[in-house]
Amino acid sequence: MAEPPPPGPVPAQRHASQPTALRIEAAGFGYRGTTVLWDVELTVGEGRTLALVGPNGAGKSTLIKSVTGLADLVTGSVTVLGRALPKARGLAAYVPQAETLDPDFPVSAADVVLMGRYRRIGWWRPTGRADRDAALAALDRVGLADRASTRFGLLSGGQRQRVLVARAIAAEARLLLLDEPLNGVDATSQERILTALGELTATGTAVVISTHDLAVAARIADQVCVLNGRQWAAGTPGEVLTPEVLREAYGNHAVDLPDGRTMLVET
Amino acid sequence: MLEAPFMLRALAELTLLALICGPVSVFVFARRLSFVADALTHTVFPGVVAGFLVSGADGVFGGALVAGLVTAVVLTLLTRGGLLSDDAATAVVLTALFSVGVALVSRRSSYTSDLTAFLFGRLLTVTPGQLVETAVLAVLTLTLVAIGARAWVFRAFDVGGAAAAGYRIARLDLALNLVVALVVVAAVRAVGTILVVALLIVPAAAARMLTDRLIAMAAAGTVLTLLCGYAGLWLSWTASVDHGVRLTSATAVVLALVLAYVLLLPVGLLRRRRPA
Repeated sequence: MAEPPPPGPVPAQRHASQPTALRIEAAGFGYRGTTVLWDVELTVGEGRTLALVGPNGAGKSTLIKSVTGLADLVTGSVTVLGRALPKARGLAAYVPQAETLDPDFPVSAADVVLMGRYRRIGWWRPTGRADRDAALAALDRVGLADRASTRFGLLSGGQRQRVLVARAIAAEARLLLLDEPLNGVDATSQERILTALGELTATGTAVVISTHDLAVAARIADQVCVLNGRQWAAGTPGEVLTPEVLREAYGNHAVDLPDGRTMLVET
Repeated sequence: MLEAPFMLRALAELTLLALICGPVSVFVFARRLSFVADALTHTVFPGVVAGFLVSGADGVFGGALVAGLVTAVVLTLLTRGGLLSDDAATAVVLTALFSVGVALVSRRSSYTSDLTAFLFGRLLTVTPGQLVETAVLAVLTLTLVAIGARAWVFRAFDVGGAAAAGYRIARLDLALNLVVALVVVAAVRAVGTILVVALLIVPAAAARMLTDRLIAMAAAGTVLTLLCGYAGLWLSWTASVDHGVRLTSATAVVLALVLAYVLLLPVGLLRRRRPA
């Protein structure tokens, strides 16, 4: 196992007033016993949004995949809605990048959204009208009700991403995990997705979203966590998205600042 | 042709195989398990031979069943732990067990005759007892498919989403590998270890040319297999009886399936150019 990077996670702001949707304590994440992300300490309250930012390879996806069960929690603990991993698996809904999915897979947009209902439906019960109605309503929330029967792969990249968000809506999970859902997405789809996420948090759903877009993180998140092999900083966007923190965490990389400027950080 | 009882039994066997190969081939297609299916067809070979050596023709079914189930478990474990890539693990298991089968069969004095039967099947010598065994496997397979279908589709489309929803991915993979193994076992005596892979891959591949819906693919794959089974039997019968040309029934069935796939290719290309 590799040596951990220098210590010093910056604790996330805790929201004592809200029930906790996701609690990560002294956690290290990785694959097959090898830790790639160290010292994560986060708490996300219900109805709150946490943005994970950091350069490529920082560990954003690893953290999210660990909650879903696709990557390993090597040290520490993760609690979802009061239940610790691995028993907590199945309580969160996951939205991957649409471009990671096979566009030739023979399913319609409605089929994809219905997948969000599968755990509710169970192994034996046939798909019922209530499930189909819920799927259509979720598609409507992202503005794609009229594309329900269109094959998933024939939709644009942004529309596919909206379908995956609709799947998470249909799942009615109390915690949503979105892995860079805005990468390469057109402006219309981005607005639809962000609006849908805002509506979900208003009803108490917690959202964890990884993104490269710091302006989006500043706009939608209650908390921002900066990762790069470990947790460099966590707090409100105003506390975390500062040139000093970003320069330290990103190293020699270009950074888009929340005010729209792009900053080239030289170290 | 169907006045001959053995031809009727062959058609009944093919009908049962069509009922399971149509749906299962869709999951082989969706999960891109063609190579795994190919490996399973080869790895049941030593089981077939060992069963034959122990109990004669009656032992083939049990030997194939044991070998198929063991292979499904081994393949799942090897790929799950990340010890080997899917392809490498599959290739290692395939070649190792197939070699064992060849070594076993070469100990027989009637080597060539037995080998031909194991590799290419004996569709026309299917007995009523074998039909019952195939029917039992068909019921078991279709029951498992009915239970697992949604989860397998979810896992095939988006493994991360399926895991987040609470599905145990390794268990789903094991279950599907076991189902593929059951189909191989059901079909191996009729069409042989080499040709059975066609029944697991071609129906869905051909049906994909006709439709974008998985359930329609399963139905179309079943009908295609049934039609090609009948056409293959007729072709074999006509070639042998009317023209004196030896054409084994299983080979004719597979050739008919492949021909159907080739004929449907332009349909698929046209549909892609004009997407709905």
